[in-house]
Amino acid sequence: MKSIALGLGAAIALSALAFLLGDYHNDVYRKLLLWIALALSYNFVFGICGQVTFSHFAFYGIGAYAIVILLFTAAFPLPLAIVCGVALCVALALAVAIPATRLEGFYLALATMAFAQLFIVVLNEGGAITGGTGGLASYRLPPVLGLDLSGRAYTVVIVLVLIGTAAVLRRVDHSWFGRACRAVRDNPEAAAAMGVDVARTKVIAFTLSSVLAGIAGMAYAFVDNTVNPPIFGLENAFLVLFMVIVGGSGRHAGAVVGTVLLYLLPFILSPLIGQHHALVFGVLMVTAILLQPRGLIGLYDRLARR
Amino acid sequence: MSALLEVRGLSKRFGGLTAVRELDFEVRVGEILGVIGPNGAGKTTTFNVVAGAYRADAGEIRFAGESIAGLPPHRIAARGVMRTFQHNRPFGGMAAIDNVLVGAHTRFRRRLWSIVLGGAREEETRQRERAQELVQFVGLGEAVAADVTTLSFGQGRMLEIARALAGEPRLILLDEPAAGLTPAECTRLADIIRGIAARGIAVLLIEHDMHFLLALAHRVVVLNFGAKIADGLPDEIRAHPAVMDAYLGSHAAHQ
Repeated sequence: MKSIALGLGAAIALSALAFLLGDYHNDVYRKLLLWIALALSYNFVFGICGQVTFSHFAFYGIGAYAIVILLFTAAFPLPLAIVCGVALCVALALAVAIPATRLEGFYLALATMAFAQLFIVVLNEGGAITGGTGGLASYRLPPVLGLDLSGRAYTVVIVLVLIGTAAVLRRVDHSWFGRACRAVRDNPEAAAAMGVDVARTKVIAFTLSSVLAGIAGMAYAFVDNTVNPPIFGLENAFLVLFMVIVGGSGRHAGAVVGTVLLYLLPFILSPLIGQHHALVFGVLMVTAILLQPRGLIGLYDRLARR
Repeated sequence: MSALLEVRGLSKRFGGLTAVRELDFEVRVGEILGVIGPNGAGKTTTFNVVAGAYRADAGEIRFAGESIAGLPPHRIAARGVMRTFQHNRPFGGMAAIDNVLVGAHTRFRRRLWSIVLGGAREEETRQRERAQELVQFVGLGEAVAADVTTLSFGQGRMLEIARALAGEPRLILLDEPAAGLTPAECTRLADIIRGIAARGIAVLLIEHDMHFLLALAHRVVVLNFGAKIADGLPDEIRAHPAVMDAYLGSHAAHQ
C-alpha cells in the first residue's frame, strides 16, 4: 500500500510539472522522462544483473518502429498493436539472449552491439516498411477512448510509462528474482550452488529490460511523431551506459540522477562551449570510473554516512 | 538407518592425474559423516563432484534413491543438497539477510508475473522471517542488516552455513568449515553443526583438522591419494594404523 501511494504521489507530482512548463520545455521534459525510463531498465540488466549489453537502444527503436508500422501500415487497433509490439520485443530479446548468455562479458557486449548495428541496417534497407534512411513521419496518435492525447496530455502518458517501468523494476528487484540477478552478477558459481539457474536468470533479466525499453520506445514514437534510423544508433546506447555508470550502477536512484545530469548537461553547456560538451562527458566518465566507481549515488552514501 | 546419499565407484581425473579413484561411501539420514585426509587427498574434488560442480568420469551418485550424477549444480540444490565453499563466497553489496535469502531461492513458489502484479508480499515476508531465524541460529543476529563486505572472516563462514540452510536441505555439504577460524569460533561452529544434525539434516563434513572432525562426526571416511584407506567410527579411526601413517607420517604411527 505504501508503495502504491508513493507511485501515485510521484505520478501526480511529475504530471503537475508538465502543466507548469511551456511547449518547448514539455518536449525536453518528455524526452528526459523517457531517458530515465530507459536508464532504469538498463540499470536492471547492466547494474543489477551484471550483463554489458549494447542492444538496449535498439529495443527502444524496435518498440517505436513496431507501433508505427502496426498502427498505420498494418492498420491494427491500438491495443492489439501494443500487444504485438511487446510480443515482437519478447521474441527478439529471447532470440538474442538465448545464444548470447552462453557468452561472457566482452563477447556478450559484442553480440548485442552487432544486433544493434544490424537493426540500423534493417531500418535503412527496409524500403517502404521502415521508410529507409528518412524513416517514418507525418502520422498522429489516434484519439484514445475519445481523448486527444497530445501536448501536455501526452506528457502525462509518458509519466505513467515511467512510473509503470519503475514500479515493475522495483517489485522485481525486491523479490527472489532480483536477488538471483545480483547473485549471478557477484558470483555465478555460488549462485548456481544456491539453486539459481544462471543462464535462465540472465535470459529473463535481458528480456525484461529489453521489453521495458521497447515499451518506452512505443511512447517515444508519438513524442516527435517521426522515427528515423539516426535516433536509435549506437551513440545513444553508449549514452545510456554512461548515465547508469555516472549515477551509480546497480541503484535505481543512481540511474535517475545520472540521467538527469547527463541529459541536461548539454542544454547548460552548449551555449557556453558549443559541441565540445562531448569532451566534458568523456572527462566525467573517466573520472567516475577511476575515482568513484559507485557513481554519484555512492558519493552521496559516503557523505551521508559521515 | 537408510542411506540418503550413496556414492559408488566414483572416479574423477584431471588430465593424467586421478584425483578420486573408485570411491564408495554413503551418508545416512540425520548423521554427520566426516571425510578426512591430508592435502591433495581428493576431499574437495569428491565434494565438488557430489555438488555437481565437476562431472564424474565414472561411478554412481544417488540422492534419496535417485541418480544425481551429471545434473547441473542448481538442480542438485533444488533437490535438497546445499553446500558451503571452502573460501567464503558471499554476494557482495548485499545485506547478510539478503545473502541468506538467495540460499532460499528454490523455496520460493511465486512466479515472476505474480511479483510484477504485486502478489508475492506474503511469501517474501515469510521467507524473510525464516532467514532471520537462520541468521540468529548461526549467531549473526546483530549483523542481519550489515553489508556482507563488513563481516569478519569467521562471520562470513557462519553466513555461508545460514545461506546453505535457507535452501531447506536434506543434506548439507560443508567444505572445511573450520579452516581459518579461531578456537572460540571452532567451538561455536561445532555446536552449530550438531544443531544442524539435530534438525534431522544429514551433514557431509570435509575437514582437514582431524581433532575438530573426530569430536563431531558419527562416522568417518579417510581418503589418501584419491582412494579410501579406512572408514569407521571416530574411535576406530583414531586407532587405525594406516590413518596415522597417512596423516602424520609413518614415524608418528610407531610412537
